[in-house]
Amino acid sequence: MRKIKKILSAILLLSLTFCTGGNSKRNYLTYWSSNNTYEIEFARKMVAEWNAAHPNEKVKFQPVPEGQSSEEVVLAAIVGKTTPDIYSNMWQGDVEAYAKAKILVALDTLKGFKDFIYSRCDSSTIKEVTAADGHIYQVPWKVNPIMMIYNKKLLDGIGFKNPPTTYKEFFTAAERFQKQNLVNGRVTKWFGYAEILPTWWQRLFDFYPLYLAESGGMPLVKNNKAVFNNKYALRVFNFLRTLYVHDYFPKERLSARQDVFLSSVIATRFTGPWDIAHTEKFKPKGFKYDFAPLPTSGKKSELPITYCDPKNIVIFNTCKNPQAAWEFIKFYLSEKNELKFLEITNQLPRRKDLLSNPLFEDYFNKNPMMKKFARQTLHIKGIDQALYLKEVFDIISQAYEESVVYRVRTPKAALDDAEKQVNLLYSK
Amino acid sequence: MRKGKLTPYLLVSPYIVHFLVFVVFPVAFSILLTFFKWDIISEMKFSGFANYRRLFADRLFWKALVNTLYFLSIHIPLELVVSLFLAEILNQKLKFQGLFRALFFLPVIVSGVAVTILWQQLYGYNAGLLNKFLMYIGLGKVGWLIDTKMAMPSIAIMATWKNVGLYIILFLVGLQTVPKQYYEAAELEGASHWQKFFKITLPLINPTIIMVVILSTIGGFSLFIEPYIMTGGGPLNSTLSALLYIYKQGFFYYHMGYASALGIFFALLIMAVVIIQRKYIEKRT
Repeated sequence: MRKIKKILSAILLLSLTFCTGGNSKRNYLTYWSSNNTYEIEFARKMVAEWNAAHPNEKVKFQPVPEGQSSEEVVLAAIVGKTTPDIYSNMWQGDVEAYAKAKILVALDTLKGFKDFIYSRCDSSTIKEVTAADGHIYQVPWKVNPIMMIYNKKLLDGIGFKNPPTTYKEFFTAAERFQKQNLVNGRVTKWFGYAEILPTWWQRLFDFYPLYLAESGGMPLVKNNKAVFNNKYALRVFNFLRTLYVHDYFPKERLSARQDVFLSSVIATRFTGPWDIAHTEKFKPKGFKYDFAPLPTSGKKSELPITYCDPKNIVIFNTCKNPQAAWEFIKFYLSEKNELKFLEITNQLPRRKDLLSNPLFEDYFNKNPMMKKFARQTLHIKGIDQALYLKEVFDIISQAYEESVVYRVRTPKAALDDAEKQVNLLYSK
Repeated sequence: MRKGKLTPYLLVSPYIVHFLVFVVFPVAFSILLTFFKWDIISEMKFSGFANYRRLFADRLFWKALVNTLYFLSIHIPLELVVSLFLAEILNQKLKFQGLFRALFFLPVIVSGVAVTILWQQLYGYNAGLLNKFLMYIGLGKVGWLIDTKMAMPSIAIMATWKNVGLYIILFLVGLQTVPKQYYEAAELEGASHWQKFFKITLPLINPTIIMVVILSTIGGFSLFIEPYIMTGGGPLNSTLSALLYIYKQGFFYYHMGYASALGIFFALLIMAVVIIQRKYIEKRT
């Protein structure tokens, strides 16, 4: 009996130790990064450097714990009040809801933040990340602008020395490409490809960047009202619909096959800079590719705006020393370290001097493809600072599926209905 | 004496703790959540029966439910017939009997995600093997996953293929419990193979049939991975299953209260269907 009592006491003691092992008494900061191998490598280096120079304000680093998605893990941590002090890789579209729930630190209340953000970002970026309550809860960190990758050889083959920049050119190129690749009257190759799944985030990589390009960066939602039901969205819907009508884009999922771009099954794809490393690694011999801005209905005098898939850094309100956390973030985002970030991860920091700062010049000279994306960062937009964005995208996605892919409604009718649904969502 | 009384409880305590933490608590918490509005990150707000009222007015949920029932109406008979047929064959004296049994069981233990991706390739419209075969024999292509009428039956066929091995094993066990002398007596009376099957085999494996119907009903109601990966619920919500809809409400939009109400309603529905099924089959046989 005594033995059993001893065992039970030991279990109880251990449980208590684990239960109280949270944030309360630790004297270090915790930091979670994404699970991306290169980002982990970069974060490890940064944390080691910081800890060596700041033995009294150490940072403990780990990639976000494994889960179905990092978002779900962060949510679980919020519920369990086990969030890290600092988290990078926060999708911009989630921040407004987190800010409203008061689980993030308003960074503009911290010493040195405003000076830093004004020196790093331009006014449009700052406006974009400012929450509805006027505070800033996120540091714009990195971007991956969406552009169009194209197979140079295939485009040359249809008489296009330069990639199509307008819808009309796009249709002409697609038509020629299709004719050239018919086998016994059957379409075997497509000019482009976009996922047809009605999942909300798929529209971040087809409809949304094209909408930004066409409209010059107009919002989807403003002051809790849908503002996307306009001529620009209609043009984009009609453009994409035509691609499916003529079978220039396949109406099936090709993603589980071998890389359809590298195997020349498709000639173009809307994608981000992550495709550079992948393409370089797996491209067949003699394969030539390049990137171009997204097509629009008419010629533009400058690069069209695109979606940049922004990921930002936040401090959770469980942090006992937000000022120290901010000092670490400042170190993390210093010029010298952002060059390392570029070199290690091949992702672009969201800073206004990316092309003008001589520090980055050498990197871009060595990586001309990345330079194209860096140029595009002068014409990018993240996401509106609004609540319920996932539902908004889901509603748009349903409209997209009905009118663009399956054509059971006209684009106008689908957009009208989507507008009504989004307004209903916000009115609740 | 006291020590003797305590020991069994101590020994089962790990399971009891696990059961309380991972079963009782989540179920109780879900029931509680149905009366609240909660997006995980904000404070919970009491909303009375609002989530249940919303459920009855939510057309998409009812569509998802009808889709699930449509899936079941294809999946259960198909599962039953195919698994019983294959079990009957595998119950005969065959060469490589063990190998065949193992092969049929293989899909059951392969990851659902891997199987789904594999079938997505078979079902491809332009480059899928099935359509290539149809074209080869001079028939037209079928929009297995992109045609609103075909998508759910296609998923049902795939789900049947994935799970049939498990039900073959159950039927094999059932078939082997049927006393051989019944068949011998029937043969002496000149009964045909079909007569033996319908008059002896089927009635005697009734408990197995009930079990297979119940298991495949519960399994069918849990339809999630296949539409989640293959179609995302499309085309035009034709493969949106009830579970996928509940998942979307909970983990895409964080409507935890509403998702819980849907989950509880759905669980009660499954329970009701299983009870009715059981009573009906038992009565009939």
